[in-house]
Amino acid sequence: MNRFSLISAFLAWVLALALCAAPAMAAKTIKVGIVDCYSGPPSTYTNDVRDAFKLEIDKVNAAGGVLGRKIEFVTRDSKFKVDLGLSAAKELVMREEVDILMGTINSALALAISDLARKERIPFLATFAKSAKITGEAGHRYVFSITENTALAGKAGAVGLAKMPFVKYWIAGDDYEYGHAIADGVWENLRTLRPDVELLGQSWWKVGEPDFTPYITAMLSANPDAVIVATGGRDCVPFLKAAKATGFNERVPFYMHTATELSTLKPLGLDAPEGVLGTSNYFFYYPNSKANRQFVKEFQDAYGRYPAVGAVYGLLAAKYITGAYQKAGKVHTEKFIDAMEGMTVDSPVGPVTMRAYDHQAMLPMFMGKTKKAEGYDFLIATDIVTLEPEEVAPSIEEIRKARMK
Amino acid sequence: MDFASNITAAALFQQVLVGLSRTTILFIVSSGLSLVLGVLRIPNVAHGSLYMIGAFLTYTIAAAVGPGAFGFWIALVLAPLGVALLSFAAERGLFCHLYEREHLMLLLFTFSMTLVFNDLVKLIWGSDYRSFTAPGFLQGSFDVFGLPFPRYNLFLLLIGPLVAFGLWFLTNRTKIGKIARAAAVDREMVGAVGINVSWIFAATFVIGCYLAGLGGALVAPTQNITQGMDHTIIIEAFLIVIIGGLGNIWGALLGALIFGLTDSLGILIWPQFAIVFPYVAVVIVLLFRPKGLLKSTW
Repeated sequence: MNRFSLISAFLAWVLALALCAAPAMAAKTIKVGIVDCYSGPPSTYTNDVRDAFKLEIDKVNAAGGVLGRKIEFVTRDSKFKVDLGLSAAKELVMREEVDILMGTINSALALAISDLARKERIPFLATFAKSAKITGEAGHRYVFSITENTALAGKAGAVGLAKMPFVKYWIAGDDYEYGHAIADGVWENLRTLRPDVELLGQSWWKVGEPDFTPYITAMLSANPDAVIVATGGRDCVPFLKAAKATGFNERVPFYMHTATELSTLKPLGLDAPEGVLGTSNYFFYYPNSKANRQFVKEFQDAYGRYPAVGAVYGLLAAKYITGAYQKAGKVHTEKFIDAMEGMTVDSPVGPVTMRAYDHQAMLPMFMGKTKKAEGYDFLIATDIVTLEPEEVAPSIEEIRKARMK
Repeated sequence: MDFASNITAAALFQQVLVGLSRTTILFIVSSGLSLVLGVLRIPNVAHGSLYMIGAFLTYTIAAAVGPGAFGFWIALVLAPLGVALLSFAAERGLFCHLYEREHLMLLLFTFSMTLVFNDLVKLIWGSDYRSFTAPGFLQGSFDVFGLPFPRYNLFLLLIGPLVAFGLWFLTNRTKIGKIARAAAVDREMVGAVGINVSWIFAATFVIGCYLAGLGGALVAPTQNITQGMDHTIIIEAFLIVIIGGLGNIWGALLGALIFGLTDSLGILIWPQFAIVFPYVAVVIVLLFRPKGLLKSTW
């Protein structure tokens, strides 16, 4: 090695040291690590979580941060894969040394990260995964859920359907955990509320089913009073298309949990079928409160689109994090968790309390019917009935039983 | 629940009709795959991505032209041509240098192309769901023995035989088709009699990919146009090509019929486990005819 290369190597080493030291010298921040699927179909839901979270965090930072510290966040793309997402979460904990983990729309990944959070003693806020296990049987001190889940949605659907005169039902859905969990949730609760209901039969299709017409015609030939459709994500759109093409919605009323959500109805434009029953945690047009109107305006100004349900989850995550640190008085994990338990924050859907026992955010559920409305080039939900969280959430007794198993 | 109480003659007939319209799409996509596989010996995994791009292009073109029947027809013509153009560029730029390589290499290469195409779709169209509708006269349904049959599915039933005839005509009655068939059997011999095999291969590849684009354009009005729509179709298309006989277009037709009909009838007969029916059919075919139903060109 000649002298020149020796000197340049030394200089590079000094430079590297300086670069590493730079962030350490800056004021210490509160760091949030988000692992979620930002590629492929699920990103249409997850982008809203991240964008609304950023909007609120930016506001908090502009006002001086929390406890004199700025909040920063880093994101990792899980590509909807459990192994990839879990190693990203580990990397965030080990290398980035994040204070809080959040995210993920994939239930299996959420459960895996939840397990990691328990071992590493880092709070994990589940923002979109719908498995009831997260705060149910697999719940623990370090995991929180700020989204509805299959148990809540199932009960909400059942409470809504029990008020209708239908007796003979058909169940159809995605043949994977989400579909079966929603269907079981609705059906078990409906049977308790209305013992006279009868199940004619069931159809199950694969996720990504390209054509629902044969399923619909087969269901029609069985002549049910109503159909419970337990499908989620991208399959909602083609199902509603097939329903419209066959006139399914005019022949048989059907309930589909996410049918009324913006992400489902917007791409269909005015061609979505009317009269479909659905449930959701949030609509940008409901509740028509000052808080919601203001949130929608801020979100639209920042991103040029209407906020979908994920935006509320992102906003709530930001509010819980800042609120809990404020309440704890210092950046300390155990104190943060104590502060989170039972904390209530304001949101576009009203005050939302983090239930202390199971760490489930008590969100209201809105059941509505799809309908064309003036001023929108897509269908919206009307005849909205608010189902209070106390009415649809599993009781603490049920959670206790599930965790005993 | 009474087992199969809902199976009536009308319901069976209905399922056969619906299954046949699904067969049309499966046939169009898998015949293109089979053509490329038979003549060029490329197991083109990116075929599904081209199908997806066809659907996205249909959406974009129809949205640009404006609502109504005109936009639909323009999109139906232009979108597959756009896919053909893209595949022409890919063939001249990339594939034509790889024909001599072994199959595994080609498989890996086409797989990497799926990643490139998927990211291309993400860059251009983003991750939102897209949807567009067929013109008014193809919307809704009419009753067949009291059960609804969508008009669009009838349209597909009419398109299917047209495409099949076009393919038959191309491969049996045109010079390029005959040369392509000859080149599939013995490439060097065809080259030795003074025919530019490279261009024949390019043309065959483009026609095969055009069919993928056409399939995508035809399903666009009935589907959620989104990333990931390529996964299902490419698996089904490969299965169809395998049970039909590698590289045999009529095998693809037969395979699509088996796949489409077992799917729709399974849904009626045993809806809880309908998913497995077409795959069971594939297993049965391969048990008795491991090389596929019709003569493979491999």
